[in-house]
Amino acid sequence: MDFSFTKKEEAFRQELRTWLESNLPDGWLEGKRDIPEDEKEYSEFLRNWQKKLYEGGWAAIAWPEKYGGRAATLMEEIIYQQEMVRVKAPPLVNYVGIHMVGPTLMQIGMEEQKEAYIEKILTGEEVWCQGYSEPNAGSDLTAIQTSAVRDGDRWKINGQKVWTSFGHLADRCFLLARTSRGEKKHKGITVFLLDMNQPGVETRPIIQMDGKHDFNEVYLEDAVAYDADIVGEVDEGWRVMIALLMHERSGIGAQVFTLEQQFEDLVVLAKEVQEDGQPLIKNPFTRKAMVDLYTRSRGSLLNYYRNLTKTLKNGQPSAEGSMDKLIVSELTKELFSQSLSMQGHKGVLWKEDAVFGDSYWQDNYLYSFGMTIGGGTSEVQKNTIGERILGLPKDLGR
Amino acid sequence: MDFSLSEEQEMFRGYVNKYLNNMGHTKVAREFIKGETESYETIVAGLAELGCTSINIPEEYGGMGLGALDLVPVLEELGRSVLPGLYLETNSFAVTVLERFGSESQKQKYLPAIAEGTHTFSIAWLEPGGSYGPADIQMMASLEGDSIRLGGTKTLVPDAELASSLILPVRTGRGSGEEGISLVILDLADTDIALQRQRNIDDSRHLAEITLDPIRISQEQIIGPLHKGWDVLQEGLLAVNAALASIMVGGVEAVVDMAAEYAKIREQFGQPIGRFQAIKHKIVDMKVDLEIARSLAYYANWALENEAEDRVQAIVCARLFAAEAYNKAAADNIQIHGGIGFTEEIDCHLYVKRARFYENYLGSTQSYYEKAAAALGWCEPEKVKQF
Repeated sequence: MDFSFTKKEEAFRQELRTWLESNLPDGWLEGKRDIPEDEKEYSEFLRNWQKKLYEGGWAAIAWPEKYGGRAATLMEEIIYQQEMVRVKAPPLVNYVGIHMVGPTLMQIGMEEQKEAYIEKILTGEEVWCQGYSEPNAGSDLTAIQTSAVRDGDRWKINGQKVWTSFGHLADRCFLLARTSRGEKKHKGITVFLLDMNQPGVETRPIIQMDGKHDFNEVYLEDAVAYDADIVGEVDEGWRVMIALLMHERSGIGAQVFTLEQQFEDLVVLAKEVQEDGQPLIKNPFTRKAMVDLYTRSRGSLLNYYRNLTKTLKNGQPSAEGSMDKLIVSELTKELFSQSLSMQGHKGVLWKEDAVFGDSYWQDNYLYSFGMTIGGGTSEVQKNTIGERILGLPKDLGR
Repeated sequence: MDFSLSEEQEMFRGYVNKYLNNMGHTKVAREFIKGETESYETIVAGLAELGCTSINIPEEYGGMGLGALDLVPVLEELGRSVLPGLYLETNSFAVTVLERFGSESQKQKYLPAIAEGTHTFSIAWLEPGGSYGPADIQMMASLEGDSIRLGGTKTLVPDAELASSLILPVRTGRGSGEEGISLVILDLADTDIALQRQRNIDDSRHLAEITLDPIRISQEQIIGPLHKGWDVLQEGLLAVNAALASIMVGGVEAVVDMAAEYAKIREQFGQPIGRFQAIKHKIVDMKVDLEIARSLAYYANWALENEAEDRVQAIVCARLFAAEAYNKAAADNIQIHGGIGFTEEIDCHLYVKRARFYENYLGSTQSYYEKAAAALGWCEPEKVKQF
């Protein structure tokens, strides 16, 4: 058992820290983290950040050097996430491109595809989104109905996608469409690299319960793609999806580190909120709840490290990643629920009227409900754990 | 970064696991409950032969000189088989206290015998009507010449009949605070004590009330500084709680295995019940708790072994989490088994009972919550009471 980092790893951390200090927007590290509200300005802001990361060589550290990455080790990726969480860095607008599409194309894409897309993913010139979920295909992705039909030298795509993060900013979509119907539901699905800037694609915003707009509906009406836009084989998109998921080797590390930080914030809140002239932390009931959350957030971090050790030894992630996802998302929800309870009735005050932390608690509380749904619901994670780790029989219908 | 037990530690787990399974797994506990101690005695000798009792004894006293993490595989396996006996009290508590506070002659006298597996310790702490708090340590101990006169009653003493010695907190000074408490070792072979068995939900651990009709023992039996026994006790408790967390992890693991196996073979409505999400997800919840408990327990033992700054909160929280997870998982295991789970015949109840036995063992859940809060700097340590 060894929790230390090697000298090389520490040097990597230091290099990144130094870079962040001189490249984050002015005042960012001092807490002046102004993110534009206006959609266009926000998009501009995120693209600029990605461009800066690219110029510094920090946009896609895990990519091989020949594609402009640093061929970072898994531990370096972990350190990267720790540092980004520590400084509360802006989100990576091309997350889908860098973590999913790029590595998948490098592995199974055609040479022309690599040439056309990979560099633009890295620079942020082209932002990517995912086109998986549909109104009737959420947890069960094999139920997708969006169809792609060959029409001469092109494919005509019709259907509707939903929960498309950053879809309104995206230039291209990693799209799942049905190209045939067979006995097995996961057969007959094909992956297309779809151009979002064409008449057949319409993006409409979804306003979330936290008032924000990250997600979109995407309507496809005779949208066009070509053979050259297919990844892998026709009807074999499911394999591509599996290959894509294997690239997520660091799992949900960023969320685990974020939770750790959010717990520290909660301790500050418990000292800040007064109850009958005393800080709340003096109340033994609050303390018990806090010890409980401390224990479980430590548990989630340590469990993540234990699974990470397994990944380091086996060279690839295992089903245990489902456990990390389940634990951290459920716990984040509980943490923010607790944070509102602790503020008493004042906890309902929102936005500019929030009493503590500029609405940080209210915003994150509302946002947290999405965490146990997006990226696979808690129920789906539990099925995976039950079936793949405990060997329990599969649900009927799957 | 490597957060896992070493290959050697995992290999040793394999030996212990194989040995206990060959000996019938929970059969030993079941016979012990019926009063048949033959297989228990065989196992005690067998575990000593495997080296379990000498792991954390310093080399100069006949042990392997290894640390808390090396005990973890053994502790988990003992927990899995709900094994009776005093391994926790002996190898975690007594060895820690002896090693850190014992005189040279005390070390010579006890440590090699523990390593050989021929000497065991129990802890006689509670007194009738009292708690684990210092105010409730009232057993009188007066210093007379070079001896101590001890008189009074200790209650809920675990497995006193199996123990070679007892460690007792007694009051050598005035008052009711932490000051004035000393720890003494009472060797049972040359002492006349009245022992009254107490019925216990978990009869795989025997409890007894012992009464000392004032007796005289040598002052050399005091361990650690006079009147400062409370601090000695706290060090011993850290080791106990880290170890207890691992024992309970073993218990939870056995319960998860039982539930998953049963859910695969038991059929209702024409299919294995493990196919129903009501059952599947309940078992997954147990499994998730198991892995969190294990991660916390590994870290607790690492922190103990390396004297990490956060060792108190790490150890206390590992104990708290494991106890809660164990009680919950053991209870859910009965529900998953349905009617058969309610019977004496199936092992489910052994785990429920042992989980309950450990819940408030050597300190209440409530007081450990406050101890963790104090270690995290959320309340003043001096205001935290043990009870």
